[in-house]
Formats: sequence, structure tokens, C-alpha cells
Amino acid sequence: MSKVTFIEPSGTAVDIEVADGWSLMQAATSNGVDGMEAECSGSCACATCHCYVESHEELLTAPAENELAMLDNVAAERRPNSRLACQIKMSDALDGIVVRLPATQV
Amino acid sequence: MFSFDPYSPAVDADPFPFYKTLRDEHPCFWSPEADMWVLSRYTDIVTALNDWQTYSSASGNLMTELPNRAGSTLGTSDPPRHDRLRGLVQHAFLRRNLEALAEPMRAIAREAVGEIKDAKEFDFIGDFSSKFTVRVLFAALGLPLGDEQTVRDKAVLMVQSDPKTRAKGPEHIAAYNWMREYAAGVIAERRKNPQNDLISHFSMAEIDGDRLDEMEVLLTTTTLIMAGIESLGGFMSMFALNMADFPEARRQLAANPELIADAVEESLRFNTSAQRFRRRLQKDVTLHGQTMKAGDFVCLAYGSGNRDERQFANPDVYDITRKPKGHLGFGGGVHACLGSAIARIAIKIAFEEFFKVIPEFHRVEADLPWMPSSTFRSPLRLVLARG
Repeated sequence: MSKVTFIEPSGTAVDIEVADGWSLMQAATSNGVDGMEAECSGSCACATCHCYVESHEELLTAPAENELAMLDNVAAERRPNSRLACQIKMSDALDGIVVRLPATQV
Repeated sequence: MFSFDPYSPAVDADPFPFYKTLRDEHPCFWSPEADMWVLSRYTDIVTALNDWQTYSSASGNLMTELPNRAGSTLGTSDPPRHDRLRGLVQHAFLRRNLEALAEPMRAIAREAVGEIKDAKEFDFIGDFSSKFTVRVLFAALGLPLGDEQTVRDKAVLMVQSDPKTRAKGPEHIAAYNWMREYAAGVIAERRKNPQNDLISHFSMAEIDGDRLDEMEVLLTTTTLIMAGIESLGGFMSMFALNMADFPEARRQLAANPELIADAVEESLRFNTSAQRFRRRLQKDVTLHGQTMKAGDFVCLAYGSGNRDERQFANPDVYDITRKPKGHLGFGGGVHACLGSAIARIAIKIAFEEFFKVIPEFHRVEADLPWMPSSTFRSPLRLVLARG
């Protein structure tokens, strides 16, 4: 288990212990975190689990081509640290990662 | 001696007392009647939903599966095949792409409720929700008008199972075969004359040169029709039932339609029509002192997880202010309902229009005729009276 901190659109920080191998999207939706839509449930086909990665960014695997293409469709501002939460899998190395959720996903 | 038989009329009518015993006393329960394990606690179900490598859908996801269906639909395939299929059809189901349907849906809802505006008593399902869902589906999928009633009847029949044989009966399989034939005809027509509709799009959809094969197009279309009519209609009848049974909530919604969305989420938690789906284990799993073997089927009782007091406080209370995040009313994990966005929009519009015309109503029958189904739960008839 590793810890992830989600910052909801309201600014509320929510700490969650996540099993290794789970995606950040799974962690957020299974724990009722605000600001996560995930309409396609993790198939990298909707761009509604958009997040801003605020720490550990250097430890993440770079986004694959399909994620980059899908990031063109995010509803909120796309920033350099924009990612799709369904494509980031938790591991010990990411323990303590901080992820901010945008005001809108659709 | 406790037993849990998802084929029994008692479970069709009221599964919740069974679920409570399952959660408290048998959280990993072998049901000889179902020939599968039953997981009933919220955390266990969510863990299974998020672990498709262990809990596979490729051997079927309906509790009682239809013949030769597993493996060719979204719900009956695992990643990466599932993700490829979902990627091809998801686009049409994104909320941002559904806005064009809102006005046609509203017109359909107005027309359907207009047909019962003078009735003192009516069957919510036969006289309203089935007309609404079938017309919405026909509009969304661009299906040719004329066969609506037959399509609806077959869709409802194909999700049922025979309570005596604990399997699909000849009438259920015949309905399924009819639907496949019907879908095949529509697909052929759309390929010949493509329109700006869902079936035209995804029967020819391509991502990086990859297309759906014939069986995938056929069975996915068949499933979309089934889900669009039966699942949407089933849930609408459960929502109407809650509105009849909880008049305080109904009055708040009729006075302030903004609250409908919250009430829909609470209904999805409280008594979703999608009660139980199944998975098949790819390896041995030991849980709560029981060892489930690779190859065993496992029932994920969403309806039970939604009433788990370990997750939701006062779970047996219907509370429209609850905002139950993470409920299992649309399932979860990679297989979470493809149609959740369209369903939410359709139900909200249907009830906005319904409450305008019929704000006050009550149930006529104390005991409802429940559909015989090991997977879904909704009444076959819901007679409501004005006032």
C-alpha cells in the first residue's frame, strides 16, 4: 500500500492508501473523491480522469501516444503536468504522490 | 441452515435480508444453487472489480449467461481486448457527445406522459417507461421505426431466466436469437446506407486500422439494445417505485427538479436494478477463510455492497441528500456501465417531464410481480394511481 493525496476541486485534500498496481483513477473513484468522472472506466477513451500531478512527476512513466492524444480532449486547462489518472499505476516509488483534480472534467 | 438462491422468487422480491446475512455471517459464501461464490461486502466487490486479471469477465458476466455470447461483448471480455472495444464505442457515449439527444428525449418524454395525463391509474412500465425507453433507444441508435413493441418485448425476455430450470428457457433464448437477427439486419442496412447514428459509426469505426469483427459488432449491438431498453427501463421503474414509496422525497423533487440527479444516485445505491453480475477466477483466492479455486464463478452482489454499513452509514435509509460517491449501481472497474451518462440524462429528463404532469401518485399493489432474473431486479408491472 502507498499513500496518494488527492486535492479535490474545492481544495480539500484527501489521503488514500492504495494497493500497488491500482491506477490513480481507480483509487479516486473507489473512494468517492470529488472531481473524477472517469466515464470510460480506464480504457483511455474519454479524457474525464484528467489530473495535475504535483509531485513525483519525475518518477512517472512518460505518457504513451494514446494518452497524449486523449489529453488533447481534456475539458479544463491542459498544463505540462496534465495526465490521465487511469494511466498512472501506483507503486512504492510513488508513495506520497500529490495529485490535483481540475474544476471540470466534461 | 442459511441458503442464498439467486433463482428463487424470494430473492427476486427482496434480496436485502439475504444480503445482510451474507455480509455479516458469510462474506465469502458458496451457493450450491447458483453454483458459484457470492461476495457481498462493498470492499470485497470493489477489490474484485478492480482486479480483472484475477476476476475475469471473459466467461460471461450475466449470472445466467446467454449462449455463445461470452467473449464478444464489452461486458464479457477482459483487457486489452475489452479496452479496444470500449475505445471504439465509448466516443458516442461520452456526456459531451450526448447533448444533441437532450431535446429529442424531452419531446419523447412529453409525448409519453401526455398519453397518460388524464388517467387516474396507469402502469408506469407499460404506459410510460417502456414507451419512453424504446423511443429514446430508437432515436439514439437510429433504429428504423415500426418494430418498437416487439423489440422491447424481446429485450425484456432475454434477460430473464427460468426459476425452475435455473437456466435460460427456450423462450429466453429465442428472444435473444430474435434480437441477434434484428441487430444483424440493422447493421447490414447501416453499412449500405450509413447515417449519422451510433450503429453506423461503430460498425465502421476504426482506430489505427483496427475494426470490430462481425461477431463483435453484432453482439455489441445486441447488448446495447438489451441494455438500452431493459436496463434503463428497469432502473426507471425502481426510481418510480422509490418516488411512490418515499412521498417526502418525491415532493421535494417535484418542487425542485434540480434534486432529481441526487435522487437518481441514491436510487442507484439503494435498489439498483443491476443487482448481481459474475466473474470467473483465474487463480485461487483465499478470502475470509475460504479458498475459491481457479475456474470457479463468483457473484458480485452490487445490491449488497450498496447496503453495506461498513461503507454507507444507515444503508437501509433512502436519503436523497446522501450523495453516495462510489456506489455500485452501475458496477465498477473497467466494466462500469458504458451507458451511465446517457442513462443519467434520460432519467433526469423523463422525470422532469413526468413530475410536471403527475406530481402526486401512490402505489396500488402492495406486492409487486417481480421479474424472474438472477442478474437484474425490477417489477414487471407498477400500477400507480394519481393523488
